[in-house]
Amino acid sequence: MAQMPLLSLIVFMPLIFAALMALMPGDRGVRPMALVASLLQFGVSLLLFKYYDAATPALQLVEQHSWIPEFGISYFIGVDGISFWLILLTTFLLPVVVLGSWNAIDKKVKAFHVALFALQTAMLGSFVAMDLVLFYVFFELSLVPMYFIVGIWGGARRVYATMKFFIYTMAGSVLMLLAIIYLMFAARDTEGLGYFTANVLELYKLKLPFTADGLMSPQALLFFAFSAAFAIKVPMFPVHTWLPDAHVEAPTPGSVVLAGVMLKMGTYGFVRFVIPMFPEAAEHFGWIFLFLGAVGIVYGALVAMVQPDIKKLVAYSSVSHMGYVMLGIFAMNTYGMTGALYQMLNHGISTGALFLLVGMIYERTHSREIEKYGGLAKVLPIYTIIFFIVTLSSIAVPMTNGFVGEFLILLGSFQASQLMGAIAVTGVIFGAVYMLWMFKRVFFGEKGELVSDEKHPLHDLSAREILVMAPLIVLVFWMGLVPNHFLSYSKSSIDHLMQNKDAYQLGVLTMEDATKRVAATIEMETVTAKATTTEAGVAR
Amino acid sequence: MNHALGISSYLIVAPMLALLAASLVPVMLKVFSGNREPHPFVTTTYGFIAVATALGLAITFLGGSKFGFHNALVSDGLSLWASVIVLVSGGFSIFMMHDHVETQTKLFSEKVFLLLGSLIGMLIVVLSNDLIVTFLGIETMSLCLYVLIAMSRETILSKEAAFKYFILGSFASAIFLYGIALIYGTAGTTQFPGLMEQVGPLLESRNHLFLIGIVFVVLGFAFKVSVFPFHFWTPDVYQGAPTPVTAFMATAVKAATFVAILRLFQSTGYQHSLPLKEVISWLAALTMLVGNAAAIMQANFKRMLAYSSVAHSGYLMVGVVAAGFGDSQGVASAAGIVVLFYLLAYSIMTLGSFAFVALLEKSVGQALQVDDVRGLARSHPVLAGCMAIVLFSLAGVPPLLGFFGKFGLFSLAIEQNFYWLAIWGVLNSVISVYYYLRPIVLMYMQGEDSSANAPLIEMNKHIMTRFTLFGSAVLIIIMGMFSSPILAALKAAILGRS
Repeated sequence: MAQMPLLSLIVFMPLIFAALMALMPGDRGVRPMALVASLLQFGVSLLLFKYYDAATPALQLVEQHSWIPEFGISYFIGVDGISFWLILLTTFLLPVVVLGSWNAIDKKVKAFHVALFALQTAMLGSFVAMDLVLFYVFFELSLVPMYFIVGIWGGARRVYATMKFFIYTMAGSVLMLLAIIYLMFAARDTEGLGYFTANVLELYKLKLPFTADGLMSPQALLFFAFSAAFAIKVPMFPVHTWLPDAHVEAPTPGSVVLAGVMLKMGTYGFVRFVIPMFPEAAEHFGWIFLFLGAVGIVYGALVAMVQPDIKKLVAYSSVSHMGYVMLGIFAMNTYGMTGALYQMLNHGISTGALFLLVGMIYERTHSREIEKYGGLAKVLPIYTIIFFIVTLSSIAVPMTNGFVGEFLILLGSFQASQLMGAIAVTGVIFGAVYMLWMFKRVFFGEKGELVSDEKHPLHDLSAREILVMAPLIVLVFWMGLVPNHFLSYSKSSIDHLMQNKDAYQLGVLTMEDATKRVAATIEMETVTAKATTTEAGVAR
Repeated sequence: MNHALGISSYLIVAPMLALLAASLVPVMLKVFSGNREPHPFVTTTYGFIAVATALGLAITFLGGSKFGFHNALVSDGLSLWASVIVLVSGGFSIFMMHDHVETQTKLFSEKVFLLLGSLIGMLIVVLSNDLIVTFLGIETMSLCLYVLIAMSRETILSKEAAFKYFILGSFASAIFLYGIALIYGTAGTTQFPGLMEQVGPLLESRNHLFLIGIVFVVLGFAFKVSVFPFHFWTPDVYQGAPTPVTAFMATAVKAATFVAILRLFQSTGYQHSLPLKEVISWLAALTMLVGNAAAIMQANFKRMLAYSSVAHSGYLMVGVVAAGFGDSQGVASAAGIVVLFYLLAYSIMTLGSFAFVALLEKSVGQALQVDDVRGLARSHPVLAGCMAIVLFSLAGVPPLLGFFGKFGLFSLAIEQNFYWLAIWGVLNSVISVYYYLRPIVLMYMQGEDSSANAPLIEMNKHIMTRFTLFGSAVLIIIMGMFSSPILAALKAAILGRS
C-alpha cells in the first residue's frame, strides 16, 4: 500500500476546499458546505491519534520531497509533541469559527470562507514545516488571507488596522528570512554537512559561534533576528501595538483565528526554532524575554482594566496571556515549557471563546461598550453562564484549563527567577480583577441602556450559538480536570528538548513506520485478546 | 588575419536577421498598397510571428559558449536567457500595442517596425562581447524607443517624454562612449574577455584614467536602467509614453542592459578598487530607497510603477555588486543566474501590472490615478484578483515568483558577505509593501461605502491585454511554486559555458 501523506492531506485539504468554494456560483450554500468541509478536515486530523506515537520524541509522519534544490529548499514536514496539539487546535477551531460566523459575516460570504480556508492551510503548514524556507513561506502566506479578512469584513478603521498588521509582521519576518539564508550558508560551509540546506533537523546540528559577552557573535545576531519575527507575532510587549488594532477591527471569526491560532505561530517558533538552534544565546539573553514576558503580563492586564470596549479588553488580555507563554518558554525548564505549550492551547480556547461571546452580543446590540450594558444576567441567563465559565477559564480558576497552564508556568518561572515569578503572580491577580470587574459591570447591577431597551428585546443564545460554545466549554473542563490526557502527547518531546537543548537532534519516523507500529499494536491486542479468551475457556 | 566569417557567426545573429526581415514586412505592405494602413491585426500577427521565429532561433542556436564576428559577439547562457526575456517582453508589448488607444491604428505598422528594431538592438546588447558593440546595440535600441514614445496619439506628455528621454539619453551615451575611449586607451582593448583580465592589474596600479572610464561606462548603463541618481527621467517618461511602450521599456530595456552590466562586472579584479565598490553599493542602496520612498507618494498609477521599477533596479544592483565585488569562485556565474531569474520574474510582473494600467485607461491622455481602482474587485473580480497577485508578487510575498527572485538575490548578497545590503534590501521591500498594497486596499476594501449607484468602473475589452495580465498572474503562481526547473535550466545554461 502506498503511504498515505496524512500531514499533507491535513495541510492542503482546506486549500482544496477553498478552491472548490471559489468555484461555486454564488453565496448560497457556501456556509453549509464550509461547515461540512471544516468538520471533514477536523475528522481527518483526528487520524493523527491513530498514527502518532506519543512515546517517542522523534519527528513523525515525515514527508520529504525536494522542492527547489537549487536554493536548497525541500518540502519537508513532520509532527512531534510540540506541534501535535497546535495542529489539532487549528483544525478544531475551524468548524467552531465557521459555525460561529454564520450570521456575523453578511457580505461576500463565499470570499470570506475562501480566505478562511486558505488561511487554515497557511497556519497548518507553518506548524508542520520542518524546512525553514517552507516555514517562512507558510508563515508569510498566512498574512495574506488575514489581511483580506480584517480589511474587507472588519470595522470602521479596518484599513488602518490591516495595513499595520501586515507591515508590522512583515517587517519582523524579513530579517528572519536573512537569518535563514545565513544559516543555510553556514550549513553549507560546515564540515560534515557541506551542502546548501534549509532542513531544520540538519540546522539543529550546527554549532554556531557564540561569545558570552558579544552581542555581535553570529549566534546572538541570528537569535535576535528570529526572535524579532516571533516576538512581533506573539506579540510580546513592547511590539504588541498592532494586536489591539487588528483585534478590534477584525470580524469575530477573524479575531478568533488571530488569537486562537496565529499568535501561536510566534510562540511555536520560539520553541521549535529559536531555543534548539541558538541554545547558548537563548540561555544568555533569555532574561530579556523573561522580563518582557513578565512586564507584558502586568502591562496587558493593567491596560485591559481601563478599556471601555469589551473586545479591546479581551485583546489586551491576549497580550497578558501570551506574556505567560513567553515566560514559560524562557524559564527554560520542563515545567515552564510544558505550561507554555498548555497555555497556548488554553489561550486558543478561552480567548477564542471570549471573542465568540463578544461577537454574539455585538450581533444583538451592535455595541461593545461596557458602559451601555449592565444587568445582562437577568435577560440572557444561558449567555451569562457560558460567559462566566469562560471568564473563570481566562482567570485560571482551578478545575479549568487556564489553571493548569498558569500554575505550571509560574512553577517554572519561580525556578528560573524568583523576581520574575513574583511579578508574574501579580498578573494573576490583575487578571482576575479586570475580568471579574468587566463581568460585574456587564452582567450585574442596573440594566444598561442597551439591555433595558424595550423596543429591541435581547434574545438568549440560539441553538446554533450553544452548539458553537459547547465544545469549547467541554474542553475548558476536560483540559482542566484531566490535563494528562493532553500533556501525555507532548511530554516526551518536551523532556527531550529540555534535556538536550544544547545538542538538540530529532529522529525521523515516516508514515510507513507509523503504519507498522499500528499494525503491530493491533496484532498484540488480538494475541492478548485470544490469550484471555483461551484462559477464560480453560478456567471454565 | 582571416576576415572570413564562419557559419556559426551567422547562426548567432539568425534571430536578429529574422527580426529584421519580418519587421520590414508590415511597412513594405503599407508602401506597396499605396500607403494604406494594413489592418492592425495583420500587423500584430506579423510582429508576433517575427518574435516567435526569433525566439525559436534563439533557443535553437544560442547558448553553449560560441563566439562570432571575431569575438565581437558571444553566445552563452546569459545571452540565451536574456534574449528569451527580451523577446517575450517584446511579444507581449506588441499585443498590448494592438489594443491600446494611444498606439493602435494610426501608423501602427511603423510602430511594430520600430519595436522590432529596438528588439534587434537589445539582442545585440545581450550578445555583445565588446563594449563598442554594446554601445551600438544600446543606441539602436534607444533610437527606436525615442521615436516610439513620441508616436503616441496623446500629444503633449508623450512628446515631452520623448524629448526628455532623447536629450538625457544622448548625454548618457556620450559619457558612455567617452568611458569606452578611456578604457581602450588604458587597457588596450574593448572586448570583455581581454578587458576582464586587465581590470585587476590596472586597478591595482591605481590607474585613474581606467577607473574613470569604468565609472563613465557604469554611468551610461545606470541611466538606461534608471539607477539613482540617474533615474529622474523615469517617472516622466514612463508616464508620458503610451502604456504598452512603457511596459516594453520597463522590462526589455532593463533586462538587456543589466546583462551588459553583468558582463562588465564578471571579473574578480574589481576587488582592488575599494572606492568603486563603495560607490556602486551606495548606488544600489540609494536606488532602492529613492524608488520606494518616492513611489509611496505617487497618485498617478504609472508614476508609482515607474518608481517601483527604479526600486527593482536597486535590488538588481545588489546582484551586480555581488558579481563584481564578491570574492568566491564563480560568483559571476552565480550572479548571472540570480539576476536573470530576477529579471524574468520582474518582467512577468511588470508586464502584468502595465497590462492592468492599459486596461483601465479610458481615453487618450487621461492619466490613471491610483484612486481610480476603487471598488474594482466588485465590478471585475477576476482582473482585480490577477492584479492583486501581481502586486503581492512585486511586494515579495511567498510563494509567488517575486519572492523567489528576491530570495535568490539576497542569498547571493549574504553569501558574498554584503550583509548590510541584504538587510537594507529586505527593509526596503517592507517599505514597498505599503504602496503595493494600496491598490489592493482600494480594490477590495473600499468603494462599496460610496453608495451602490455609483457608476461601475469601465474596463476596456482588450482581449490581448487581458490575456497578458491573466497570463502573468498565472505564471507568477506556477513559476513561483515550481521555480526549480527554471532555475535548473538557468544553471545549466550559464555554468555550462565554462
